[in-house]
Amino acid sequence: MAIAARARSQTERHAASTWWARNGVRTVVMVIGLSIFTLWTLFPFVWIIETSLKTNKDLYQQASLFPTHITGQHYSEVIHKTKFLTYIKNSLFVSIGTTLIAMVIGVLSAYAMTRLRFRGRTFMARAIIVTYLVPGALLFIPITQIALQLHLTNKASGLIAIYLIFTVPFCTWLAISYFNTIPVELEDAALVDGATRLQSLVRIIIPLALPALAVIALFAFTNAWNEFFFALLLVTKDSEKTIPAGLGGLINGDVFQWGALMAMSILSSAPPILVYLIAQKWVVSGLSGGAVKG
Amino acid sequence: MATISLGKRTAAVSPRSVSQRLLGRDWRLAWLFLLPLTVVLVVLIAYPFVAAIILSLQHKVVGGPATWVGVRNYRDLLVGAQYGAVFRKSVWVSFVYTAVAIAVKVSLGMCMALLLNERFRGRMVMRALLFLPWAMPTLITALTWRWIYDGTPNGLLNLIRINYLQKDTLTQFLANPRLALWSVIVVVVWQGTPFYTMMLLAGMQAIPREQYEAAAMDGANVFQRFVFITLPSLKPVLIITCLLSTIWTANSVNFVFVLTRGGPANATMTFPMLAYEIGIDGARQLGTAAAVSVMFFPLFIVAIVFLTKRMLSTEGRA
Repeated sequence: MAIAARARSQTERHAASTWWARNGVRTVVMVIGLSIFTLWTLFPFVWIIETSLKTNKDLYQQASLFPTHITGQHYSEVIHKTKFLTYIKNSLFVSIGTTLIAMVIGVLSAYAMTRLRFRGRTFMARAIIVTYLVPGALLFIPITQIALQLHLTNKASGLIAIYLIFTVPFCTWLAISYFNTIPVELEDAALVDGATRLQSLVRIIIPLALPALAVIALFAFTNAWNEFFFALLLVTKDSEKTIPAGLGGLINGDVFQWGALMAMSILSSAPPILVYLIAQKWVVSGLSGGAVKG
Repeated sequence: MATISLGKRTAAVSPRSVSQRLLGRDWRLAWLFLLPLTVVLVVLIAYPFVAAIILSLQHKVVGGPATWVGVRNYRDLLVGAQYGAVFRKSVWVSFVYTAVAIAVKVSLGMCMALLLNERFRGRMVMRALLFLPWAMPTLITALTWRWIYDGTPNGLLNLIRINYLQKDTLTQFLANPRLALWSVIVVVVWQGTPFYTMMLLAGMQAIPREQYEAAAMDGANVFQRFVFITLPSLKPVLIITCLLSTIWTANSVNFVFVLTRGGPANATMTFPMLAYEIGIDGARQLGTAAAVSVMFFPLFIVAIVFLTKRMLSTEGRA
């Protein structure tokens, strides 16, 4: 019946010759739409790369859309005249620290939430979601005040503590939604054989969840790597600056050193962007799986 | 799902004690595993949350002592001579900023997702390219756009206007009170659209192809298929994405902070920026600043309660 219906509808379409019209229209819409979106998405990237390669003359005196000379001077300035490598090191330390702590907390909690039976489970689930959703604007005044009071300025530990506020509920929630997809029965044999819960978590659940955990870790890492509000506010000592604070150091009042700023931007954001491009498929499924389901 | 295997498990472990009956079979181990999380939730989130509310009832300058003033901070914001006008302005600015940004993001995100959901060669490459703004660090996005908008002949837009469009005046995208808010919204949209695209695309791919084929056979055209199949199927995803994004967009200080600092003439003074200006940058009145954030919080409670319920129920189903 379906075949007959399809054949009928196709003959109808051919008769009116709308099939070609429709596919023609489809192609035109696709090409125009995708071109506009591509241009809209990519032009700032082109502008960043151009700016980082232009001479100061092309940037300021005789501004031109495309560089007349290509120069590496901004890159060498960033590497030689700023503490770029120190900033990278500090950013790595803060981001890896945040990620490790958030992942340990998230995985342990997610295991308890999905595999163990105890009173207060629903309450904790609610608490995790609410803290994940609670607006940052409500917290930044007290957090700043507390950080200043406890002299957490210019300290990696201070930044890590603050970044945990945003990463822990998020990591825990994503880990919970992933652990829920792993059948409980897989652990039963091990538990009957006398394995402890911790052993079962480490030997069975974590290896199974490894790809998902990698995506969660990537989120946590980039969250910490990209955060700049507290980094600019709390870190003023050059030797303790993370990348965002270092970028801030290239701005003096209203004077922006655009060439160097864009060069440092490219050097510091290229690695995470590359990782995203490569892991894009998993990133998308992780993101939509954790926040939106069903 | 854990209840199904309960009988089998209890047989394997020791008989249940009184505490296990009262607090659940694994309560000791569970709370041991949850201890670090509990510390983070209490010390790093609940405590600042309570501190915000207490602070909003105090007069406190950074580094100074706190004195209890009751609701005076709130009164100052609502009807006070110093902050009244700017606070009311920030309510309006926050509303326009959030509403317009969300509306444009969801529309563009939908268009992008529809295009990317089609089959064509190079689809995966296109997808990766169009997601780039999402992967870009926010500070760098904001700085780049500040340079694109630059009010000298060197900024990209003014460069194009003067060299290619034969205009002879410079446009102050970020310094003109009538343009500034729209310029900021453009940046928010540029960065935020890919999140919608991702969510909607994931939602679209969950719709069975047969539904479209059946509708096509019944003679439904592209628009009818979109209105009667795609939109209804995407409703849950749409609602959740919009709510999440509303909370994040409204409460983020990032773009305004780098692009305009709330200026010119408070034209871009969203409420988190106002809290920053009052509490950290200018007068350093922490109490009044906390009151700004606390006053806006009830607006988000509805979204938070809805999302919490929704996410809890999907967790149970998984």
